[in-house]
Amino acid sequence: MTWLAIAGSAVVTYVVRAFAFRVALPSGLPRGVSRYLDALPAAIIAALAGPAILVPGGAPTRGPELAAAIVVVAVVAWRRNLLLGVLSGVATVAVLRLVLAA
Amino acid sequence: MLITVLVVGIPFGIVARQAGLAPAEIVAMSVFIFAGASQFAMVQLFRDGAAWPVIVATVLLINLRHVLMAAALRPHFDVSVARRLAAAFVLTDEAFAMAIGWFRRGRTELAYYATFAVALYLLWNTATVIGMLAGPSIGEPRRFGVDFAITATFVAIVVLGVRRRSDAIVAVAAALLAAALAALGASVIAVVAAGALAPLLVLFIRDGRAA
Repeated sequence: MTWLAIAGSAVVTYVVRAFAFRVALPSGLPRGVSRYLDALPAAIIAALAGPAILVPGGAPTRGPELAAAIVVVAVVAWRRNLLLGVLSGVATVAVLRLVLAA
Repeated sequence: MLITVLVVGIPFGIVARQAGLAPAEIVAMSVFIFAGASQFAMVQLFRDGAAWPVIVATVLLINLRHVLMAAALRPHFDVSVARRLAAAFVLTDEAFAMAIGWFRRGRTELAYYATFAVALYLLWNTATVIGMLAGPSIGEPRRFGVDFAITATFVAIVVLGVRRRSDAIVAVAAALLAAALAALGASVIAVVAAGALAPLLVLFIRDGRAA
């Protein structure tokens, strides 16, 4: 299962990277298509984060995850630093969960 | 940019280990897939128990953009097919950005791309192993909020990539749609469906060129 997912992912990743190196694409894809492809990765990554922020573990968040996500957005927008953003988010979640559990 | 690879690669090793992946699986991901955001996405999907076709489809969608990057680089790669196919294996957003800047300055040497891309590859794999070895010593994930690290990483990647208003709108729409689908019990298709639908919004948003 895990190995199938890894092998399959390796194949599709290489195929998309190699495709246009091997086959010359007609120059100038329709603008809509290139804008769609451009927006795709961020949308997928945001879609991965959304459920973990709003419905972690399948139940609506009690607040820590949403608050932490807002902290990450603020810190990264301000300092442009990924690691600092992640650490602030993790710290926020840890503290708020402790507070809520108390 | 090389430092960034370490800063992202080490957390990848940590979260992958904490998600219960075996060391051989983690190393294989970095060696054979070599795609940061995709590998984080895979870890989360493994943790959620997603089926392998869902994982492969998600990775495909995340990496589709490389078709455009390869198409832009190709005219500069006036070399044998074998060499172009080798260049494709180490194509990443970072290598693309450095190489296209180099070619736009009128330079033609491909050794620049090769050196930079291979350095990224070696660093990414080194960082993966460091994180993987450090992973188990970090402790019980939920208690310290470490389970949130992967989500926080996704949020940070998205924020760093926002260049226009439409980028932010698409990201928020994708997150909300995926959460709604997950809440309705469709978590298997939530990511792929929300991720594929939300970018359609760009076709309806008029905003300026990238800053």
